[in-house]
Amino acid sequence: MKAFASVLLALLTFGSLCVADDSAVRTRQMEREGDAAGARQLLLRAAQSSPPDAGALTAYAEFLDRHRDPGVRPAYEKMLKSLTRPEDRGKVETAAKRLLVLDLLENDTAAMERHFNEYKASGGTQISLDALRGAQKPAPPLTAEIPGPLRSFSRMAALSPDLSPAELLPALARNVVTNGYQASSGNESLEPTEYLKLIIRYLSQVRELEKLAGADKTIKIETCDSTQTGDLLRVLGYRMRGGCGSEVVLETVNATRAFLTIDSGFPLAQLEQSLRTNRPFSYDYKPTVVPVLYGKEFWTPAKEKQGGEFIDFFLSDPSLCRLYLGLSKLDRETADELKKQMPAARIKAFSHVLDFYGGMFQIRNGHAVVPGGARAITAWKELSGTSPQDGPAFFEKLLTRDDGWMASLYDAISRINGPVRDYLLEPKRFIRFYTAMKGRITSPGPARPVFRANTDMMLLTQRLRVEPDGRAHIPGNMEVWKNLFIHHPHGKYDGKLTKAAVNWKEPDDLVEALFALCRKAVENEPLKIYMALSDLNRFRTKPLEPATVDRLARDYRLYAAQYSIFSEVPSLSDKTIIAYLDTAQSISQIRDQAIRADTAGMMQGLVGLWQIFCRQGSVQAADVDATMAGILAEFGKTHNNRELFDGGRNATRILLKATHLPEDASPQDRMVDLLAGSARPADSESHRQVVQNMIQIFESQRLISLKTIFDLADNLENVTKGERANSALMAKLAAKIAEIQLPRASLSTVEKNALAFGYWTERHVEAQRRVNLRGSIDKAANDPEKLKDIRGQLTPFLRDTLVGLNYIHYAPPGAQILQTNPLFVRTHDFLGVQGTNQTWRATEVFGTGWPSSAGGRLVGSLSGLPYALAESEQNFLVPSREQALIWGDLVPQMILTAKVPRWWNVTPGQLHWVALHLNQGEALLAESAIDPKERAEVLDLLYLNAPPARVNKVSDLLEQGNVRSALELVTPSELYVLAQAWWAQNKDDRGVFSVEARRLMAETPDQFSTRAVSRAFGTPKPMLANSYQPELLNLRTFPTLMGFSSRIMAESWESNILYYAALADELNMQPSQLNVVVPQWTQATVEKIFATHLEDWPALLRSLRLVGDEVRIKARKQLAAASDQKASLQE
Amino acid sequence: MKSYIKIGIIGAIIACMGAGMWLYAQDDRPVFRVKVELVVLGFTVTDNKGRYINGLKHKDFRILEDGIVQKVSTFAEGNKPPVQIMDDGSTQPIVMANVEGEGKGPDVRSDAFVGTNVFVLFDTSNYMYRGFVYASDAIADFVRGLDRADSIAVYTYSRNLSRASGLSKDRGDAIVGLRKAVAGDDSALYNSLLLTLRDAAKVPGRKVVIVFSNGPDNASMVAPDDVRAVAEDEGIPIYVISTNEVNKDQISSGVFRRISSRTGGKAYFAKTWQKQVEAFENIREDLGNSYSVTYYPQTNPNEGFRKIEVQVTSDIGKKYRVRARPGYRPRGGF
Repeated sequence: MKAFASVLLALLTFGSLCVADDSAVRTRQMEREGDAAGARQLLLRAAQSSPPDAGALTAYAEFLDRHRDPGVRPAYEKMLKSLTRPEDRGKVETAAKRLLVLDLLENDTAAMERHFNEYKASGGTQISLDALRGAQKPAPPLTAEIPGPLRSFSRMAALSPDLSPAELLPALARNVVTNGYQASSGNESLEPTEYLKLIIRYLSQVRELEKLAGADKTIKIETCDSTQTGDLLRVLGYRMRGGCGSEVVLETVNATRAFLTIDSGFPLAQLEQSLRTNRPFSYDYKPTVVPVLYGKEFWTPAKEKQGGEFIDFFLSDPSLCRLYLGLSKLDRETADELKKQMPAARIKAFSHVLDFYGGMFQIRNGHAVVPGGARAITAWKELSGTSPQDGPAFFEKLLTRDDGWMASLYDAISRINGPVRDYLLEPKRFIRFYTAMKGRITSPGPARPVFRANTDMMLLTQRLRVEPDGRAHIPGNMEVWKNLFIHHPHGKYDGKLTKAAVNWKEPDDLVEALFALCRKAVENEPLKIYMALSDLNRFRTKPLEPATVDRLARDYRLYAAQYSIFSEVPSLSDKTIIAYLDTAQSISQIRDQAIRADTAGMMQGLVGLWQIFCRQGSVQAADVDATMAGILAEFGKTHNNRELFDGGRNATRILLKATHLPEDASPQDRMVDLLAGSARPADSESHRQVVQNMIQIFESQRLISLKTIFDLADNLENVTKGERANSALMAKLAAKIAEIQLPRASLSTVEKNALAFGYWTERHVEAQRRVNLRGSIDKAANDPEKLKDIRGQLTPFLRDTLVGLNYIHYAPPGAQILQTNPLFVRTHDFLGVQGTNQTWRATEVFGTGWPSSAGGRLVGSLSGLPYALAESEQNFLVPSREQALIWGDLVPQMILTAKVPRWWNVTPGQLHWVALHLNQGEALLAESAIDPKERAEVLDLLYLNAPPARVNKVSDLLEQGNVRSALELVTPSELYVLAQAWWAQNKDDRGVFSVEARRLMAETPDQFSTRAVSRAFGTPKPMLANSYQPELLNLRTFPTLMGFSSRIMAESWESNILYYAALADELNMQPSQLNVVVPQWTQATVEKIFATHLEDWPALLRSLRLVGDEVRIKARKQLAAASDQKASLQE
Repeated sequence: MKSYIKIGIIGAIIACMGAGMWLYAQDDRPVFRVKVELVVLGFTVTDNKGRYINGLKHKDFRILEDGIVQKVSTFAEGNKPPVQIMDDGSTQPIVMANVEGEGKGPDVRSDAFVGTNVFVLFDTSNYMYRGFVYASDAIADFVRGLDRADSIAVYTYSRNLSRASGLSKDRGDAIVGLRKAVAGDDSALYNSLLLTLRDAAKVPGRKVVIVFSNGPDNASMVAPDDVRAVAEDEGIPIYVISTNEVNKDQISSGVFRRISSRTGGKAYFAKTWQKQVEAFENIREDLGNSYSVTYYPQTNPNEGFRKIEVQVTSDIGKKYRVRARPGYRPRGGF
């Protein structure tokens, strides 16, 4: 009997294990297929089983944890309760620790204590709350007062209301430096701008109001007819119209004062309402207290210390503001050391260098922490003449030596890692490159202009590549570059470099010349050529042949904008690249302007479509090169419209054939399907929405479908064989033509022609309006040649359709221009102003803010279409915050990041992979608050992407147990890199996210390779990588740079898509839904940004998280409502 | 049970103003179609001295679209509630009744078709720097003096649009929004006007846009006449109050005149504060003395611009002048 019971028990146990395993397999399968909600239900049911099953409870809690479910803590609590056996102590320890971290994230102190006790009881010793319990509150900062309420001052000084008190003065300092002063016309002194004058006037008004507010700092009006009312209104610049009572109205009496009242946001409407209703009015008028670095005494001139207010001195001295800004970018220890080393007046003299290039300075225990670490100390010592061991002296040298060149090099090299950094920091080479860059005359230094002027150096150090043999990558060979410098077709670049080039032998010789060119604002074309061609070779299995490199280098001035196409598709052969250049050249030589524009438009339209199909994987890798070659062959030698039309149609067929899509659907439908992206049947709803948007825009532009055009052409061909013309088709085209209006401009034709710009685009539109196929057939009178020529009249329509298909693919969210101006595609100007030859240049937006024009239009080639479209659309977004404006230069990049990538091929596992990284990053930071040993490791990794001052702040906040605030300072891409780096160093980490990530990687390594994830969640970087192919570069966030403003900073910002991907995973969305929601979320993110200045990416981060929170709340409400509905139905 | 608008004509209006109709081909591909929607037409009738003619009834008018006589669905004068026109030509008030389904459909209030939805678009760009506060006062006066039935939204713009206060009957909201306006930088008048029209188009009932600007635009992507076409198609009159003299910026003045007259509105060039106040008074009068009709267009093969004509049948001596938008283009949809 006993034996039987044992067998039975064993069988039952085995059975239950099998069921558990089966359940685990099933939930895994469901997750893999994107049914996380179903998996959750299944795990929940298992977790609710009776008696409680510890395994099921664990699986459920960990699932919730991985998906950031709000129910995670109760689930872990239940799990803890079920772990009662002595052998479960390890599990209890792990779970209690995780709960403790979750408590920290929720700032739940009571739960922390409870879980810590459980952790200790289970034998855990690694973490301790002692540090948190004993954490002293930071010493109260030294402060100063700014008169009046913060909100009003922020409005007047154009500061974001989201700034923390500590951020206020640095932001104000920056605004004063960049907007507060201008050169006076008569002499070299500076005079305040209107911006600063208004702040000063405002402060004067505030002081009057403060007097009215009295000792209790409150402006009070008891009754309408009191004397205070009159006094207050006088200061505000208003008076009452009508007697006290319901008819009273406030109206302007002093426009200057009234302007300040309104602009500073004084609650005038509320005051008026109080006067109308004869109720008391009360307005808190306490001054604003702001922390001041080193206290206000430090910043106040000695002679002024007896009187005057801090804010007045601060605003009156832009160099003081610059110093404040520079010091505020350093971490506390570094700033203190530097302040000790250099007298304030001396640092002030170099504050411009400190502001632009001091952000990466770091002193620890008196030593400078230099890029390259201990191995690079010699290089830095030889360069500066001072050892980094003496940190303060080293950085003083960097600041003061050469008007900022050395400091700028230090800053550029601090932003890179890996072999390129090691290559550059080889001491002899390093000094050689620096010497070349610095030149003999160092002034003006790179920190003198409004933006950092070392753009090319930053880009060169980022884009330089090193071969496995440790030498710099040289596209082609040295002979190509020597020839370029010595015999350049456009004349000498630089006399000295031309002379030196004769003796060049090694790659270093060329790199030295490139560093020398970094100094130049003009004539540094070879540097740009080098970067472009180096990018072109980046992913090629076989680098470009020297002859190809030579041709590309020599044609750079004409066709540079086209090179991003070659970069994006690295499988293009040298032959095809040369064919592209030949074709472009032959098109440029077409004498007839209209045919040239149509040929360029059609060819570029088709190449643009080919590029999209390659990016989306619609053209197979093996067909990529042949397809491009086939397209180009159709445009090599066109003499008239008929040949051009035939070439366009043939090229369209070649392109569609390469996609291997069944030919049963019309070419138009196939094209739109392909542009939307290849979706699985399960994703049909998202696909339908994308297609619908595209068709709507296509129709708004009154474009003619490929099917109609080709059917007409076929019918015309049949007419030449004696068949009848298809009246229905002709009528369809005629109806469409009737809808084409001339551009709605306000100038007369003569005036427009005189202005010349846009003339050719109007001729293009007019040519279409004149088309009358029926009339042409009648006129041809059965002459076969004339009848054949008639299909040439369809050429401009085909061009617009092909160009329009590119437009609809990249149409930004909302697409107001495309929906409103029906000629936007048709007026794309491929020629530009006569003589400028813009046919192959990057796409530009032209004609904004000119009411007499026909609206803005795009000019140039299609190579920069995604950015130009986004740029033209950005100001149709509506900031949701009072006083905020759309952030030009940043927003177009955000928009194209939402439109260029498509996520049809992303798997649920890949979404989860990103979420695991972000969760792990957060968990590591939170654990760091209670585990000092781990903190040191984690912060070291955080330095990889975050600057020292920020890491320092994160460290302080973690020490104080303020995990939430610490996390707010870290971007999603930094969290991603942090987790990645952590896992690389801790391969056996047993955390819930680590285990899951390892499991995913083991199951399908291809999905989670660096390259696959980079393609899935990367962003296009047309400036940084010369390609629209999305990729993750894991860069530090760039500053603003001369010539690019915030554009490169925006390209280095990789957080949006990572954050959205993790959000989608959390909300159990299918990856395909990203194609619909990412543009919407991006629009919401952009509209919620309130940035104070052009480097204010924290404002972008705040907005990103705000949108995430709103999406979460909405999704959970919908879920709850659906659940309620289900429950009521069941009842 | 909640009280809601009932069925009948209002229901039909709401249905047609919603997301539109979806037609699918066999392969589930969305097919683009021209949508035939309810047309809302506002107009004023004046005598040869410019005095408003009030008290006319629906039978006094004949509405033609491309020469085709239209069957009017509802008729309203000024801010009086609209009446439904029955098949036999009689009228009856639009019935309110109880329907279920809270929160469904577009944002429609029970009084959605009473009064006018007024969107004020206020230029706060650098170009308005000097006149900013006076303009703000004039707009505040206008808001206070609006008919109770009217709703108002205040938008401001410089380079970007800002929705200072959403559409509301609460004058206090509008004035608070107005007084929060901040002086900006560049001026993108036509971009902002387009976005305002798009917002207005979503609201059922009669609506107008009043632009307060001194004219220059240095940042818009859209052309004035493309924006005007949107206003025409949506049936939204644009009134413009320009603080500039007509002669100073002739291009802007010409554009203002054209977009206002083509949409059934008016342009005022009011250099002084007093003139601005007068301009607002005129607009208020216009709103209070206008007629509005709705109709579903009769079958018309024209998918392009459809010309609208309002005839006063009772005006035998042809002394009256009708000011209305000249036509519209039916919108595309799926």
